[in-house]
Amino acid sequence: MKHLKAINQKAQLLDQAAAQDKVEDVVAMSSVVGCTSTFDPGWEVDAFGGVASLCQPMEADLYGCADPCWWPAQVPDTMNTYPDWSKQAASTKDDWRNLGTVFPKD
Amino acid sequence: MKKTFKPGWFGLAMAALLPALASAEALHADKPLVKGDEYLVVGNYPDNLHVVDLKSDTLFKSCPVPGSVGPATLQVSPDNTVAYLVTNRFDEVHGIALDTCQVVFQAKMEQKEKERAKALFAISLSNDSKQLYVIQTPTTLNTDHYVIGEPRLAVYDTASGLDAKPVRTLPVPRQVTVMQTGQDGSLYMVGPDIYKFDPQSGQYTVAIPSRHWKRPRYAPPDVLSVWPLKNAADDFTILYTTAKFKGKTDDPATADWIYGYFNVNLKTGKTETRDFGPFTEIYFTGVRSPKDPNLMFGVLNRLAKYDIKQKKLLAAADIPHSHYTIAMNKDGSKVYLGGTWNVLSVFDAERLKPVASITLPGGDMGAASPQIFTR
Repeated sequence: MKHLKAINQKAQLLDQAAAQDKVEDVVAMSSVVGCTSTFDPGWEVDAFGGVASLCQPMEADLYGCADPCWWPAQVPDTMNTYPDWSKQAASTKDDWRNLGTVFPKD
Repeated sequence: MKKTFKPGWFGLAMAALLPALASAEALHADKPLVKGDEYLVVGNYPDNLHVVDLKSDTLFKSCPVPGSVGPATLQVSPDNTVAYLVTNRFDEVHGIALDTCQVVFQAKMEQKEKERAKALFAISLSNDSKQLYVIQTPTTLNTDHYVIGEPRLAVYDTASGLDAKPVRTLPVPRQVTVMQTGQDGSLYMVGPDIYKFDPQSGQYTVAIPSRHWKRPRYAPPDVLSVWPLKNAADDFTILYTTAKFKGKTDDPATADWIYGYFNVNLKTGKTETRDFGPFTEIYFTGVRSPKDPNLMFGVLNRLAKYDIKQKKLLAAADIPHSHYTIAMNKDGSKVYLGGTWNVLSVFDAERLKPVASITLPGGDMGAASPQIFTR
Protein backbone atom coordinates (compact mmCIF):
# COMPACT_ATOMS: atom_id res chain seq x y z
CA MET A 1 0.00 0.00 0.00
CA LYS A 2 2.90 2.40 0.67
CA HIS A 3 3.64 2.89 -3.02
CA LEU A 4 0.04 3.69 -3.90
CA LYS A 5 -1.40 7.19 -3.59
CA ALA A 6 -5.12 7.55 -2.84
CA ILE A 7 -6.76 9.91 -5.29
CA ASN A 8 -10.46 9.34 -4.72
CA GLN A 9 -12.73 9.12 -1.70
CA LYS A 10 -12.91 5.35 -1.56
CA ALA A 11 -9.15 4.97 -1.70
CA GLN A 12 -8.78 7.58 1.04
CA LEU A 13 -11.21 5.56 3.17
CA LEU A 14 -8.99 2.51 2.72
CA ASP A 15 -5.93 4.51 3.77
CA GLN A 16 -7.86 5.77 6.78
CA ALA A 17 -8.89 2.25 7.78
CA ALA A 18 -5.29 1.09 7.61
CA ALA A 19 -4.05 4.14 9.57
CA GLN A 20 -6.66 3.55 12.29
CA ASP A 21 -5.48 -0.02 12.56
CA LYS A 22 -8.77 -1.28 11.19
CA VAL A 23 -6.83 -3.37 8.72
CA GLU A 24 -9.07 -6.36 9.37
CA ASP A 25 -11.87 -4.39 7.69
CA VAL A 26 -9.94 -4.29 4.45
CA VAL A 27 -9.71 -7.71 2.83
CA ALA A 28 -8.73 -9.04 -0.54
CA MET A 29 -11.80 -9.53 -2.69
CA SER A 30 -11.74 -13.07 -3.98
CA SER A 31 -15.46 -12.96 -4.65
CA VAL A 32 -17.04 -12.12 -7.96
CA VAL A 33 -19.12 -9.08 -7.11
CA GLY A 34 -19.79 -7.37 -10.42
CA CYS A 35 -18.01 -4.33 -11.78
CA THR A 36 -15.05 -3.60 -9.61
CA SER A 37 -11.31 -3.69 -9.81
CA THR A 38 -9.77 -7.06 -9.24
CA PHE A 39 -6.08 -7.92 -9.24
CA ASP A 40 -6.62 -11.63 -9.70
CA PRO A 41 -4.31 -12.85 -12.44
CA GLY A 42 -5.78 -14.88 -15.26
CA TRP A 43 -6.07 -12.76 -18.37
CA GLU A 44 -2.59 -11.73 -19.43
CA VAL A 45 -0.81 -14.18 -17.17
CA ASP A 46 -1.97 -17.16 -15.14
CA ALA A 47 -1.62 -17.79 -11.40
CA PHE A 48 1.76 -19.45 -11.98
CA GLY A 49 3.20 -16.47 -13.87
CA GLY A 50 2.95 -18.30 -17.19
CA VAL A 51 0.31 -18.75 -19.89
CA ALA A 52 -0.43 -22.49 -19.84
CA SER A 53 -3.31 -22.14 -17.36
CA LEU A 54 -5.02 -19.34 -19.25
CA CYS A 55 -8.19 -20.45 -20.97
CA GLN A 56 -7.60 -21.93 -24.38
CA PRO A 57 -8.31 -20.26 -26.73
CA MET A 58 -8.88 -16.81 -25.32
CA GLU A 59 -12.33 -16.54 -26.91
CA ALA A 60 -13.56 -19.47 -24.80
CA ASP A 61 -13.04 -17.30 -21.72
CA LEU A 62 -14.45 -14.08 -23.09
CA TYR A 63 -18.09 -14.05 -21.98
CA GLY A 64 -17.46 -15.95 -18.75
CA CYS A 65 -15.22 -13.03 -17.82
CA ALA A 66 -16.95 -10.12 -19.54
CA ASP A 67 -20.48 -10.89 -18.28
CA PRO A 68 -19.78 -10.57 -14.55
CA CYS A 69 -17.51 -7.61 -15.32
CA TRP A 70 -14.51 -9.58 -14.10
CA TRP A 71 -11.89 -7.66 -16.08
CA PRO A 72 -13.60 -4.34 -16.77
CA ALA A 73 -10.47 -2.72 -18.17
CA GLN A 74 -10.09 -5.26 -20.94
CA VAL A 75 -13.65 -5.50 -22.28
CA PRO A 76 -16.68 -3.20 -22.28
CA ASP A 77 -18.95 -3.45 -19.26
CA THR A 78 -21.84 -5.55 -20.59
CA MET A 79 -23.39 -5.74 -17.14
CA ASN A 80 -24.52 -2.10 -17.15
CA THR A 81 -22.99 0.35 -19.60
CA TYR A 82 -22.68 -1.56 -22.90
CA PRO A 83 -25.25 -4.37 -22.65
CA ASP A 84 -25.41 -4.84 -26.44
CA TRP A 85 -21.68 -5.06 -27.10
CA SER A 86 -21.87 -8.78 -27.84
CA LYS A 87 -25.28 -8.80 -29.54
CA GLN A 88 -23.82 -9.66 -32.96
CA ALA A 89 -21.46 -12.28 -31.56
CA ALA A 90 -23.43 -14.99 -29.78
CA SER A 91 -20.67 -17.41 -30.75
CA THR A 92 -17.21 -15.98 -30.03
CA LYS A 93 -15.36 -18.62 -32.03
CA ASP A 94 -17.41 -17.75 -35.14
CA ASP A 95 -18.25 -14.07 -34.71
CA TRP A 96 -15.41 -12.48 -32.74
CA ARG A 97 -14.88 -10.05 -35.64
CA ASN A 98 -18.21 -8.43 -34.69
CA LEU A 99 -16.88 -7.39 -31.28
CA GLY A 100 -15.85 -3.79 -31.68
CA THR A 101 -14.26 -1.08 -29.63
CA VAL A 102 -16.58 1.19 -27.66
CA PHE A 103 -16.31 4.91 -27.22
CA PRO A 104 -17.96 7.22 -24.70
CA LYS A 105 -20.87 9.10 -26.17
CA ASP A 106 -19.80 12.56 -25.11
CA MET B 1 6.57 -19.79 -47.39
CA LYS B 2 4.24 -18.68 -50.17
CA LYS B 3 2.50 -15.41 -49.31
CA THR B 4 -1.16 -15.06 -50.24
CA PHE B 5 -2.45 -11.62 -51.08
CA LYS B 6 -6.01 -10.82 -50.07
CA PRO B 7 -7.55 -7.76 -51.78
CA GLY B 8 -8.68 -4.92 -49.54
CA TRP B 9 -12.37 -5.57 -50.14
CA PHE B 10 -12.00 -9.04 -48.66
CA GLY B 11 -11.42 -7.65 -45.18
CA LEU B 12 -14.46 -5.39 -45.47
CA ALA B 13 -16.61 -8.26 -46.70
CA MET B 14 -15.52 -10.49 -43.82
CA ALA B 15 -16.20 -7.74 -41.28
CA ALA B 16 -19.71 -7.33 -42.62
CA LEU B 17 -20.56 -11.01 -42.23
CA LEU B 18 -23.78 -11.66 -40.39
CA PRO B 19 -23.44 -13.56 -37.11
CA ALA B 20 -22.92 -17.25 -37.77
CA LEU B 21 -25.84 -18.35 -35.61
CA ALA B 22 -29.13 -16.54 -35.28
CA SER B 23 -31.35 -16.73 -32.25
CA ALA B 24 -32.71 -20.27 -32.04
CA GLU B 25 -36.38 -21.02 -32.10
CA ALA B 26 -38.07 -23.58 -29.94
CA LEU B 27 -37.29 -27.15 -30.91
CA HIS B 28 -39.84 -29.80 -29.88
CA ALA B 29 -41.28 -27.23 -27.49
CA ASP B 30 -44.15 -29.45 -26.38
CA LYS B 31 -42.18 -32.68 -26.08
CA PRO B 32 -42.51 -33.77 -22.44
CA LEU B 33 -39.56 -35.23 -20.59
CA VAL B 34 -39.77 -38.96 -19.87
CA LYS B 35 -40.16 -40.14 -16.29
CA GLY B 36 -37.07 -41.98 -15.12
CA ASP B 37 -34.80 -40.57 -17.83
CA GLU B 38 -31.73 -38.52 -17.02
CA TYR B 39 -31.20 -35.08 -18.58
CA LEU B 40 -28.78 -32.18 -18.66
CA VAL B 41 -30.23 -28.69 -18.96
CA VAL B 42 -28.19 -25.59 -19.81
CA GLY B 43 -28.59 -22.10 -21.32
CA ASN B 44 -26.51 -20.57 -24.12
CA TYR B 45 -26.41 -17.29 -26.05
CA PRO B 46 -28.27 -15.50 -27.29
CA ASP B 47 -31.50 -16.76 -25.73
CA ASN B 48 -31.70 -20.57 -25.53
CA LEU B 49 -32.37 -23.23 -22.96
CA HIS B 50 -31.43 -26.74 -24.09
CA VAL B 51 -32.34 -30.12 -22.67
CA VAL B 52 -29.98 -32.99 -23.50
CA ASP B 53 -30.95 -36.64 -23.09
CA LEU B 54 -28.10 -38.46 -21.32
CA LYS B 55 -29.09 -41.95 -22.53
CA SER B 56 -28.25 -41.02 -26.11
CA ASP B 57 -26.17 -37.85 -25.46
CA THR B 58 -28.27 -35.97 -28.00
CA LEU B 59 -30.31 -32.79 -27.94
CA PHE B 60 -33.84 -33.53 -26.70
CA LYS B 61 -35.45 -30.10 -26.99
CA SER B 62 -34.72 -26.35 -26.95
CA CYS B 63 -36.74 -23.51 -25.46
CA PRO B 64 -36.40 -19.77 -26.08
CA VAL B 65 -35.63 -17.54 -23.10
CA PRO B 66 -36.97 -13.96 -23.14
CA GLY B 67 -34.21 -11.39 -23.62
CA SER B 68 -30.60 -12.34 -23.13
CA VAL B 69 -29.94 -15.65 -21.43
CA GLY B 70 -26.71 -14.68 -19.67
CA PRO B 71 -25.37 -15.44 -17.11
CA ALA B 72 -27.75 -18.48 -17.19
CA THR B 73 -26.97 -19.52 -13.62
CA LEU B 74 -29.50 -22.29 -13.38
CA GLN B 75 -31.30 -24.47 -10.87
CA VAL B 76 -33.90 -27.12 -11.62
CA SER B 77 -36.87 -27.25 -9.26
CA PRO B 78 -36.70 -30.29 -6.94
CA ASP B 79 -39.84 -31.67 -8.64
CA ASN B 80 -37.81 -31.55 -11.91
CA THR B 81 -40.41 -29.59 -13.85
CA VAL B 82 -39.05 -26.02 -14.13
CA ALA B 83 -35.62 -24.58 -14.89
CA TYR B 84 -34.96 -21.25 -13.17
CA LEU B 85 -32.27 -19.06 -14.69
CA VAL B 86 -30.65 -15.77 -13.78
CA THR B 87 -30.95 -13.83 -17.06
CA ASN B 88 -30.62 -10.43 -18.72
CA ARG B 89 -27.29 -9.42 -17.29
CA PHE B 90 -28.11 -10.55 -13.73
CA ASP B 91 -31.22 -8.31 -13.71
CA GLU B 92 -33.92 -10.97 -13.84
CA VAL B 93 -34.90 -14.54 -13.08
CA HIS B 94 -36.98 -16.60 -15.51
CA GLY B 95 -38.64 -19.95 -14.86
CA ILE B 96 -39.14 -22.14 -17.96
CA ALA B 97 -41.41 -25.21 -17.76
CA LEU B 98 -39.33 -28.04 -19.19
CA ASP B 99 -42.25 -30.00 -20.69
CA THR B 100 -43.85 -27.09 -22.55
CA CYS B 101 -41.16 -24.34 -22.84
CA GLN B 102 -43.66 -21.92 -21.31
CA VAL B 103 -42.31 -19.06 -19.24
CA VAL B 104 -44.04 -19.77 -15.93
CA PHE B 105 -42.09 -17.36 -13.72
CA GLN B 106 -40.36 -14.04 -14.18
CA ALA B 107 -39.07 -11.49 -11.69
CA LYS B 108 -36.96 -8.35 -11.94
CA MET B 109 -34.41 -8.05 -9.18
CA GLU B 110 -34.94 -4.30 -8.65
CA GLN B 111 -37.66 -3.65 -6.10
CA LYS B 112 -38.13 0.10 -6.27
CA GLU B 113 -37.60 3.17 -8.40
CA LYS B 114 -34.00 4.31 -8.87
CA GLU B 115 -32.79 0.92 -7.74
CA ARG B 116 -30.50 -1.34 -9.72
CA ALA B 117 -30.27 -4.82 -8.25
CA LYS B 118 -28.26 -7.77 -9.52
CA ALA B 119 -28.54 -11.46 -8.69
CA LEU B 120 -24.89 -12.51 -8.65
CA PHE B 121 -25.23 -16.30 -9.10
CA ALA B 122 -27.06 -17.03 -5.82
CA ILE B 123 -30.28 -18.83 -6.68
CA SER B 124 -31.91 -21.90 -5.16
CA LEU B 125 -35.31 -23.41 -4.40
CA SER B 126 -37.12 -24.86 -1.42
CA ASN B 127 -37.36 -28.65 -1.30
CA ASP B 128 -41.08 -28.54 -2.09
CA SER B 129 -40.38 -26.37 -5.20
CA LYS B 130 -42.82 -23.75 -3.89
CA GLN B 131 -40.31 -21.06 -3.00
CA LEU B 132 -37.49 -19.52 -5.00
CA TYR B 133 -34.56 -17.91 -3.19
CA VAL B 134 -32.38 -15.28 -4.82
CA ILE B 135 -29.76 -13.02 -3.28
CA GLN B 136 -30.05 -9.50 -4.66
CA THR B 137 -27.36 -6.84 -4.36
CA PRO B 138 -29.01 -3.43 -4.71
CA THR B 139 -27.65 0.02 -5.47
CA THR B 140 -29.72 3.20 -5.39
CA LEU B 141 -28.89 5.43 -8.36
CA ASN B 142 -29.37 9.00 -7.19
CA THR B 143 -28.81 11.86 -9.63
CA ASP B 144 -25.37 12.68 -8.38
CA HIS B 145 -24.27 9.67 -6.35
CA TYR B 146 -24.91 5.97 -5.84
CA VAL B 147 -25.73 4.38 -2.51
CA ILE B 148 -24.76 0.76 -2.05
CA GLY B 149 -27.46 -1.22 -0.30
CA GLU B 150 -27.29 -4.28 1.89
CA PRO B 151 -27.58 -7.60 0.05
CA ARG B 152 -30.88 -9.33 0.68
CA LEU B 153 -32.35 -12.80 0.24
CA ALA B 154 -35.56 -12.38 -1.75
CA VAL B 155 -38.05 -15.21 -1.28
CA TYR B 156 -40.60 -15.71 -4.05
CA ASP B 157 -43.68 -17.88 -4.36
CA THR B 158 -42.97 -19.87 -7.52
CA ALA B 159 -46.69 -19.78 -8.39
CA SER B 160 -46.53 -15.98 -8.76
CA GLY B 161 -46.16 -16.12 -12.51
CA LEU B 162 -44.82 -13.11 -14.36
CA ASP B 163 -43.64 -9.85 -12.77
CA ALA B 164 -43.34 -11.69 -9.45
CA LYS B 165 -42.55 -9.80 -6.26
CA PRO B 166 -40.85 -11.27 -3.20
CA VAL B 167 -43.05 -12.45 -0.34
CA ARG B 168 -40.28 -11.48 2.09
CA THR B 169 -36.67 -10.34 2.11
CA LEU B 170 -33.99 -11.04 4.71
CA PRO B 171 -30.54 -9.54 5.18
CA VAL B 172 -27.69 -11.86 4.18
CA PRO B 173 -23.89 -11.74 4.50
CA ARG B 174 -22.02 -9.82 1.80
CA GLN B 175 -20.13 -11.43 -1.09
CA VAL B 176 -22.19 -14.62 -1.27
CA THR B 177 -22.06 -16.16 -4.73
CA VAL B 178 -23.67 -19.60 -5.03
CA MET B 179 -26.03 -21.45 -2.75
CA GLN B 180 -27.79 -24.78 -2.46
CA THR B 181 -30.67 -25.99 -0.31
CA GLY B 182 -30.14 -28.73 2.24
CA GLN B 183 -32.67 -31.45 2.92
CA ASP B 184 -33.55 -29.75 6.19
CA GLY B 185 -34.50 -26.56 4.30
CA SER B 186 -31.36 -24.57 5.19
CA LEU B 187 -29.54 -22.60 2.54
CA TYR B 188 -25.82 -23.25 2.25
CA MET B 189 -24.33 -19.97 1.01
CA VAL B 190 -20.78 -19.73 -0.35
CA GLY B 191 -19.24 -16.41 0.59
CA PRO B 192 -16.24 -15.36 2.65
CA ASP B 193 -17.18 -18.44 4.67
CA ILE B 194 -19.78 -21.07 3.86
CA TYR B 195 -22.88 -20.23 5.84
CA LYS B 196 -25.88 -22.29 6.87
CA PHE B 197 -28.82 -19.90 6.62
CA ASP B 198 -32.40 -20.36 7.83
CA PRO B 199 -34.62 -18.78 5.14
CA GLN B 200 -37.50 -18.50 7.63
CA SER B 201 -35.78 -16.71 10.51
CA GLY B 202 -32.79 -15.16 8.74
CA GLN B 203 -30.44 -16.63 11.36
CA TYR B 204 -27.19 -18.14 10.15
CA THR B 205 -24.06 -19.86 11.36
CA VAL B 206 -20.75 -20.68 9.72
CA ALA B 207 -21.03 -24.21 8.34
CA ILE B 208 -17.47 -24.25 6.94
CA PRO B 209 -14.92 -21.51 7.61
CA SER B 210 -13.17 -20.48 4.42
CA ARG B 211 -11.51 -17.06 4.49
CA HIS B 212 -11.43 -17.38 8.29
CA TRP B 213 -10.36 -21.00 8.54
CA LYS B 214 -8.08 -21.94 11.40
CA ARG B 215 -5.58 -24.30 9.84
CA PRO B 216 -2.10 -23.85 11.27
CA ARG B 217 0.60 -23.21 8.63
CA TYR B 218 -2.01 -22.87 5.85
CA ALA B 219 -2.59 -19.68 3.88
CA PRO B 220 -6.21 -18.55 3.57
CA PRO B 221 -7.84 -20.41 0.66
CA ASP B 222 -8.49 -18.96 -2.78
CA VAL B 223 -11.96 -19.91 -3.96
CA LEU B 224 -13.74 -19.34 -7.27
CA SER B 225 -17.36 -20.40 -6.94
CA VAL B 226 -19.96 -19.12 -9.40
CA TRP B 227 -21.57 -22.40 -10.48
CA PRO B 228 -24.06 -24.03 -8.06
CA LEU B 229 -23.19 -27.63 -8.88
CA LYS B 230 -23.92 -30.76 -6.92
CA ASN B 231 -23.87 -34.44 -7.85
CA ALA B 232 -26.52 -37.17 -7.71
CA ALA B 233 -25.33 -38.12 -4.21
CA ASP B 234 -26.20 -34.57 -3.07
CA ASP B 235 -22.56 -33.60 -2.57
CA PHE B 236 -22.19 -29.83 -3.01
CA THR B 237 -18.47 -29.41 -3.69
CA ILE B 238 -16.44 -26.20 -3.89
CA LEU B 239 -12.74 -26.25 -4.80
CA TYR B 240 -10.01 -24.21 -3.11
CA THR B 241 -6.30 -23.67 -3.57
CA THR B 242 -3.96 -22.85 -0.75
CA ALA B 243 -0.35 -22.92 0.39
CA LYS B 244 0.89 -25.15 3.18
CA PHE B 245 3.99 -23.56 4.65
CA LYS B 246 7.11 -25.47 5.62
CA GLY B 247 10.19 -24.49 7.55
CA LYS B 248 10.57 -21.77 10.12
CA THR B 249 8.63 -18.98 8.37
CA ASP B 250 5.46 -18.84 6.24
CA ASP B 251 7.32 -18.32 2.99
CA PRO B 252 5.19 -18.88 -0.15
CA ALA B 253 8.37 -19.59 -2.12
CA THR B 254 8.98 -22.84 -0.22
CA ALA B 255 5.37 -23.82 0.51
CA ASP B 256 3.51 -26.82 -0.86
CA TRP B 257 0.72 -25.55 -3.12
CA ILE B 258 -2.39 -27.62 -2.70
CA TYR B 259 -5.82 -28.28 -4.16
CA GLY B 260 -8.64 -29.08 -1.78
CA TYR B 261 -12.39 -29.03 -1.52
CA PHE B 262 -15.16 -27.92 0.76
CA ASN B 263 -18.09 -30.28 0.72
CA VAL B 264 -21.60 -30.12 2.12
CA ASN B 265 -23.68 -33.24 1.78
CA LEU B 266 -27.08 -31.66 1.31
CA LYS B 267 -28.90 -34.79 2.52
CA THR B 268 -27.11 -35.21 5.85
CA GLY B 269 -25.65 -31.73 6.42
CA LYS B 270 -22.19 -33.27 6.93
CA THR B 271 -19.37 -30.87 6.02
CA GLU B 272 -15.76 -31.48 5.03
CA THR B 273 -12.63 -29.49 4.31
CA ARG B 274 -10.04 -31.71 2.69
CA ASP B 275 -6.89 -31.41 0.58
CA PHE B 276 -6.91 -33.76 -2.41
CA GLY B 277 -3.80 -33.12 -4.46
CA PRO B 278 -0.98 -30.80 -5.49
CA PHE B 279 -1.83 -27.49 -7.19
CA THR B 280 -0.12 -27.75 -10.58
CA GLU B 281 -2.87 -26.57 -12.94
CA ILE B 282 -6.15 -24.75 -12.53
CA TYR B 283 -9.62 -26.27 -12.31
CA PHE B 284 -12.67 -24.04 -12.23
CA THR B 285 -15.08 -26.69 -10.94
CA GLY B 286 -14.84 -30.14 -9.48
CA VAL B 287 -17.24 -33.01 -8.92
CA ARG B 288 -16.99 -36.14 -6.83
CA SER B 289 -18.19 -39.35 -8.34
CA PRO B 290 -21.68 -40.15 -7.01
CA LYS B 291 -20.66 -43.82 -7.03
CA ASP B 292 -17.19 -43.48 -5.51
CA PRO B 293 -16.82 -40.28 -3.46
CA ASN B 294 -13.08 -40.90 -3.19
CA LEU B 295 -12.75 -39.84 -6.83
CA MET B 296 -12.54 -36.11 -7.60
CA PHE B 297 -12.78 -34.82 -11.17
CA GLY B 298 -11.72 -31.28 -12.12
CA VAL B 299 -11.62 -29.29 -15.34
CA LEU B 300 -10.42 -26.12 -17.00
CA ASN B 301 -7.80 -26.80 -19.69
CA ARG B 302 -7.62 -30.52 -18.98
CA LEU B 303 -9.93 -33.07 -17.45
CA ALA B 304 -8.26 -34.58 -14.39
CA LYS B 305 -9.13 -37.36 -11.96
CA TYR B 306 -7.76 -37.62 -8.42
CA ASP B 307 -7.75 -40.19 -5.65
CA ILE B 308 -8.70 -38.08 -2.66
CA LYS B 309 -7.30 -40.44 0.04
CA GLN B 310 -3.95 -40.80 -1.71
CA LYS B 311 -3.93 -37.14 -2.83
CA LYS B 312 -2.79 -38.40 -6.20
CA LEU B 313 -3.56 -37.52 -9.81
CA LEU B 314 -4.81 -40.76 -11.33
CA ALA B 315 -5.34 -39.66 -14.92
CA ALA B 316 -5.71 -36.60 -17.11
CA ALA B 317 -7.11 -36.04 -20.59
CA ASP B 318 -6.63 -33.30 -23.14
CA ILE B 319 -9.82 -31.51 -24.06
CA PRO B 320 -10.57 -29.63 -27.29
CA HIS B 321 -10.85 -26.22 -25.60
CA SER B 322 -11.28 -24.89 -22.07
CA HIS B 323 -14.42 -25.87 -20.20
CA TYR B 324 -15.57 -24.22 -16.99
CA THR B 325 -18.00 -26.78 -15.62
CA ILE B 326 -18.02 -30.46 -14.85
CA ALA B 327 -20.90 -32.74 -13.97
CA MET B 328 -21.47 -36.49 -13.84
CA ASN B 329 -24.39 -38.73 -14.58
CA LYS B 330 -25.94 -40.56 -11.65
CA ASP B 331 -24.16 -43.88 -12.18
CA GLY B 332 -20.80 -42.10 -12.33
CA SER B 333 -19.96 -43.55 -15.76
CA LYS B 334 -19.76 -40.31 -17.75
CA VAL B 335 -18.37 -36.83 -17.21
CA TYR B 336 -20.01 -33.83 -18.92
CA LEU B 337 -17.90 -30.74 -19.57
CA GLY B 338 -19.79 -27.49 -20.18
CA GLY B 339 -19.53 -23.72 -20.15
CA THR B 340 -17.43 -21.49 -22.50
CA TRP B 341 -18.45 -22.30 -26.10
CA ASN B 342 -21.49 -24.16 -27.41
CA VAL B 343 -20.13 -27.71 -27.19
CA LEU B 344 -20.71 -30.20 -24.37
CA SER B 345 -17.79 -32.65 -24.26
CA VAL B 346 -18.62 -36.08 -22.83
CA PHE B 347 -15.94 -38.40 -21.42
CA ASP B 348 -15.92 -41.92 -20.07
CA ALA B 349 -15.23 -41.49 -16.35
CA GLU B 350 -13.20 -44.68 -15.97
CA ARG B 351 -10.69 -44.25 -18.82
CA LEU B 352 -11.12 -40.49 -19.42
CA LYS B 353 -11.67 -41.14 -23.11
CA PRO B 354 -13.98 -38.88 -25.17
CA VAL B 355 -17.29 -40.56 -25.97
CA ALA B 356 -19.44 -37.79 -27.43
CA SER B 357 -19.50 -34.14 -28.38
CA ILE B 358 -22.85 -32.35 -28.37
CA THR B 359 -23.01 -29.09 -30.33
CA LEU B 360 -25.82 -26.93 -29.04
CA PRO B 361 -27.70 -24.67 -31.47
CA GLY B 362 -26.77 -21.05 -30.77
CA GLY B 363 -23.66 -19.49 -29.29
CA ASP B 364 -21.55 -19.57 -26.16
CA MET B 365 -22.61 -21.01 -22.84
CA GLY B 366 -20.17 -18.59 -21.20
CA ALA B 367 -20.60 -18.81 -17.42
CA ALA B 368 -23.80 -20.89 -17.63
CA SER B 369 -24.38 -23.67 -15.08
CA PRO B 370 -25.48 -26.98 -16.59
CA GLN B 371 -27.55 -29.15 -14.25
CA ILE B 372 -28.11 -32.91 -14.45
CA PHE B 373 -31.26 -34.46 -13.02
CA THR B 374 -33.53 -37.46 -13.36
CA ARG B 375 -37.18 -36.75 -14.12
